[in-house]
Amino acid sequence: MSQYLPKVDELKKELNEKPGVLKGDYSKKEWWELPFEFRDGNFCWPAKPEVVEELGFPNPRKWVATDEDWKLPDGWQKTLKDAMKERFKKYRTLKLYLDSCVRCGACADKCHFFLGTGDPKNMPVLRAELVRSVYRNDFPMVEKILKGFAGARKLDMHVLKEWYMYFYQCTECRRCSVFCPMGIDTAEITMMVREILQLIGINNNWILAPVANCNRTGNHLGIEPHTFKQNIESLVDDIEDITGVTVNPTFNRKGAEILFITPSGDVFGDPGVYTMMGYMLLFEHIGLDYTISTYASEGGNFGLFTSNAMMKKLNAKMYHEAQRLGVKWILGGECGHMWRVVHQYMSTMNGPVDFLEEPVSPITGTKFSNAKAAKMVHIAEFTADLIHNGKLKLDPKRNDHLRTTFHDSCNVARGMGMFEEPRYILNKVCNSFHEMDENTIREQTFCCGSGSGINAEEYMEMRMKGGFPRANAVRKVREKYDVDSLVTICAIDRATLTPLMRYWNPGVSVYGLHELVGNALVMDGEKKRTEDLREEPMAGFDDEGESDA
Amino acid sequence: MGMHAPWKEVVERERAGILLTWQDEALGLFSEKMALGTPMAEALADAMGRILDDLVSSENEATQEGLERLMRILAVHPFPPSRSLSVFRGLELIVREAGHGLVNDEELRECIDRLTLQAFDRFMEQREKIYRLKVEEERGKMHMLLRGGRS
Repeated sequence: MSQYLPKVDELKKELNEKPGVLKGDYSKKEWWELPFEFRDGNFCWPAKPEVVEELGFPNPRKWVATDEDWKLPDGWQKTLKDAMKERFKKYRTLKLYLDSCVRCGACADKCHFFLGTGDPKNMPVLRAELVRSVYRNDFPMVEKILKGFAGARKLDMHVLKEWYMYFYQCTECRRCSVFCPMGIDTAEITMMVREILQLIGINNNWILAPVANCNRTGNHLGIEPHTFKQNIESLVDDIEDITGVTVNPTFNRKGAEILFITPSGDVFGDPGVYTMMGYMLLFEHIGLDYTISTYASEGGNFGLFTSNAMMKKLNAKMYHEAQRLGVKWILGGECGHMWRVVHQYMSTMNGPVDFLEEPVSPITGTKFSNAKAAKMVHIAEFTADLIHNGKLKLDPKRNDHLRTTFHDSCNVARGMGMFEEPRYILNKVCNSFHEMDENTIREQTFCCGSGSGINAEEYMEMRMKGGFPRANAVRKVREKYDVDSLVTICAIDRATLTPLMRYWNPGVSVYGLHELVGNALVMDGEKKRTEDLREEPMAGFDDEGESDA
Repeated sequence: MGMHAPWKEVVERERAGILLTWQDEALGLFSEKMALGTPMAEALADAMGRILDDLVSSENEATQEGLERLMRILAVHPFPPSRSLSVFRGLELIVREAGHGLVNDEELRECIDRLTLQAFDRFMEQREKIYRLKVEEERGKMHMLLRGGRS
């Protein structure tokens, strides 16, 4: 017998221990018989009627997931089936994903929601099956072959509730797709389901309220231009207090070389604002000719979690502003899903952009040929290039009060393949970087648990479960290396990992990468630095003088 | 070091086996049993291992770190608190079984009762923490919106 064949006891062990669709309490039942229940902490509030009306979306009304009657429009099943049919025709990948799953189970224990909840319907294979079972039943050609085989279901209220429950327990992070031998991207199935549910008014206020705000004012928070500018100016004052240096951002300045766009969380969120301070110090340090738009005042795009059309509309402002201001190219701040949109969709969705140039760093002369089509460069690539060319004066000891690890944001890591640049920067601006376990970083990174617009307060229990695998990996580096700082390059991560750490790993704080860059930069004309950008004391930089190190 | 109670000697001697069985029982709380290499299994082993170590080493009562970690894991799940706390009754049975009937002292029962009550306190603290996080998140947003108007 071949030495490579598994032994009987190994097979038994695997059968007993590996997750299977029908084990545990429900081993005698079919998967669709597993009960689920909406209860406090496992659903988000639906969009307010006025928000739905403002967007011109269907079926504005007051309702909540726990209601018996969801007040659905007549013929909602037909609306959903027609919408599915249309999308299967339009997006061939979607049809391929539904048709080609071989139920191998490779994805089963890869989803952070499954690993955090132990709920089998969070196995990507079953999440897709929620749709596939209807698709089998309701689409004529498939029906003839597959009806009654492996579960074919009518689209009824029970199925609809299941969709609402479980397609909002997927953050479209795509970790499962890394392990799928067929290359199935469950995120695309989630995107399709969420999009068609909008057509009958099944939605999420934490997504649609920012979408409506962005549609009206250009940013998720609905902040108007004067307030947006005022907040950045208050950060300029803070920088001056801490460093003695006056930074000089400009707003809506025509003829600037570069337009800088970042998520509004960097302007209004804690701890995002410290990252914004880091960007401004960096730009001052290198004398960058840049401007900030008070109209394209949001890099993030919750349209991605709503519908293709809405994503396209909200994103268009970036190119509109770049054209209006006459800049050469766009520099983008630290964000996750913004980069999914920019990297994968923007140039074809809102382009071509013949009015912009192929981005070239004005400081180093480096041509960013990877951004030739979209004309937008990621700040981590830009900064890594500056460091590589010796253009920054950095003192990593200024971050010696922090012991860091790095969380790869799903959209930047898996979506655009950026792994090295942030690590290169982190290693140059601090002396204490420790990686988490290999199967939790880079392309295998675990989601923060609250991406894709489910970062709502009322969803806290579910977020704590979804983020648990990430938190567990942080726990291990905390114990091994005494890590107390989780660095990331995503505005949603900065917002969501903060409560996640407070719950699972008290004592670990969340930082943006460029906040640490800002701490480490040695600026011309600065006063003696004793505090970091959070006004926390730096280690070894007391009032007595230079670093003791 | 003084003499351990018989049940403590069993826990000390059979730690690995007891931990594995106990962890398996906790994994059974979930509707789908997760494998040993998963983050859930790792975190349970970490918390439960600490509890076992503390049971053996401390003279009076277990220190709270292991209990807190275990309750932190269980407090976010939808099964009722009574089901979460049933893991301690499970531990008692596992220790008795590992002792092959030799362990039957009142001290073990008392210790398990104490652990269960302390665990309930920790469980409630974690629930309160979740609600506090909800409030803090909302308050933080308001603070940042008002921040811009100060200059």
